[in-house]
Amino acid sequence: MVKEIERAGLPVVHICTIVPISLTVGANRIVPAVAIPYPLGNPTLSKEDEKKLRRGIVEKALKALQTEVTGQTVFEK
Amino acid sequence: MRLELGKVLIKDMQFGNQTKVENGTLFINKEEMLNAISGDDRIKGIELDIAKPGEETRIMPVKDVIEPRVKVEGPGSIFPGVLGKADVVGSGKTNVLKGAAVVTTGKIVAFQEGIIDMSGIGADYTPFSKTCNLVVVCTPTDKLQQHEHEQAVRFIGLKAANYLGEAARNVVPDEVKVYETLPFAESLKQYPNLPRVAYVYMLQTQGLMHDTYVYGVDAKKIVPTIIYPTEVMDGAILSGNCVSACDKNPTFSHCNNPVIEDLYERHGKDYNFVGVIITNENVTLMDKERSSNWTAKLAEFLSLDAVIISEEGFGNPDTDLMMNCKKISDKGIKTVLITDEYAGRDGASQSLADADRSADAVVTGGNANEVIELPAMKKVIGYLEPADIIAGGFDGSLRPDGSILAELQVITGATSEIGFNKMSATTL
Repeated sequence: MVKEIERAGLPVVHICTIVPISLTVGANRIVPAVAIPYPLGNPTLSKEDEKKLRRGIVEKALKALQTEVTGQTVFEK
Repeated sequence: MRLELGKVLIKDMQFGNQTKVENGTLFINKEEMLNAISGDDRIKGIELDIAKPGEETRIMPVKDVIEPRVKVEGPGSIFPGVLGKADVVGSGKTNVLKGAAVVTTGKIVAFQEGIIDMSGIGADYTPFSKTCNLVVVCTPTDKLQQHEHEQAVRFIGLKAANYLGEAARNVVPDEVKVYETLPFAESLKQYPNLPRVAYVYMLQTQGLMHDTYVYGVDAKKIVPTIIYPTEVMDGAILSGNCVSACDKNPTFSHCNNPVIEDLYERHGKDYNFVGVIITNENVTLMDKERSSNWTAKLAEFLSLDAVIISEEGFGNPDTDLMMNCKKISDKGIKTVLITDEYAGRDGASQSLADADRSADAVVTGGNANEVIELPAMKKVIGYLEPADIIAGGFDGSLRPDGSILAELQVITGATSEIGFNKMSATTL
């Protein structure tokens, strides 16, 4: 899906737990997620901390979307 | 560490007045057995049944398959740290009822449970159609949570196997096979000129009832470590898995791991089989990185020339497989991988979710997406209804006449990634 949408001319950020698979598949902008059963959250955190975590991932993804890349890039920070 | 495995060959299984082995028949006192395995108040009923090779019987949904064994001499007991103390097992003498198995079934726990047909085409695809099966049907109490249900059934299955295993304690085995692995420094001296080979044994540990236990420890909480191969034969590793039926390792398969068996077969001839590295398949990237770093570190520490790596399950564990392969290869150590494939019903899609250039020697256990038609059976032990919802089934899998159309995924042990079946492929 990532590749087909990019082929149509739209930039895509792939939020994904297992970054190596995303790299193998060919995503260009990759934001690491938390864990396979809960990619965008963490049930072990308090509600407040989990919200902070979630917002952080979404903001990172939005920033990645606006960042020019020249090759496959993993946005760690 | 040296283990004598005594095989008591079982050709038939019947209920009788006394639990005993006589002329290759395992007689089971049903009432005594029920007493031995009952007592968990999370389970409101247990029924026992027998399914033999060639019968028109379907067992489903299958949770685990366990081989009855008993520790005759040496420390510990079968399934250490779970049913007995956490003594180190794998030495002395163990007797096994070869040809018998315990199969657990009952109301479905989770959607990834399997089918065993005792005859017909389905029987060809599972190794457990060739064993005389004591089937344990557990009915949970109402509203029992899934993980509690899984745990209760797992323990009842293990207890059932150990109960039957006791029948082998005082029987003179039909065959005895000896397995021995020396302490590392001694094994290097024993065969200094043979390539040093170890087995990297990946255990399914994705959590949410995709779990494997080592001496009772949930393997997602271990860092990779070294284990003597014979420990595995005494039940040091067991399955708590509700993962796709075709490529999870039932406890039976762990105890009979063909990779270990074959490495022993060639030990001292072609290889110096120095031991087993166990590792896990966890759900965060850091866990995957850490564990694969450690398998590579241990492979280097053991000065290995080559490893065989087996996967359990599919999907994201394909990445664990590739990370192990890449990092061990980077140390200059040769690798051979064993996996299976999810290549689509026509076999034309990419087989694994991940790939790496270093994975240049790969053995497959078959394509789990292949569609198969299982004829109706005269007798069903368990329930047919889950056919539509177990992994590999789909809406309409179960037909009104009792036949099932589904992917091979539904058959217990069909595409075993430790080679505990007979499917594979060669490149022409």
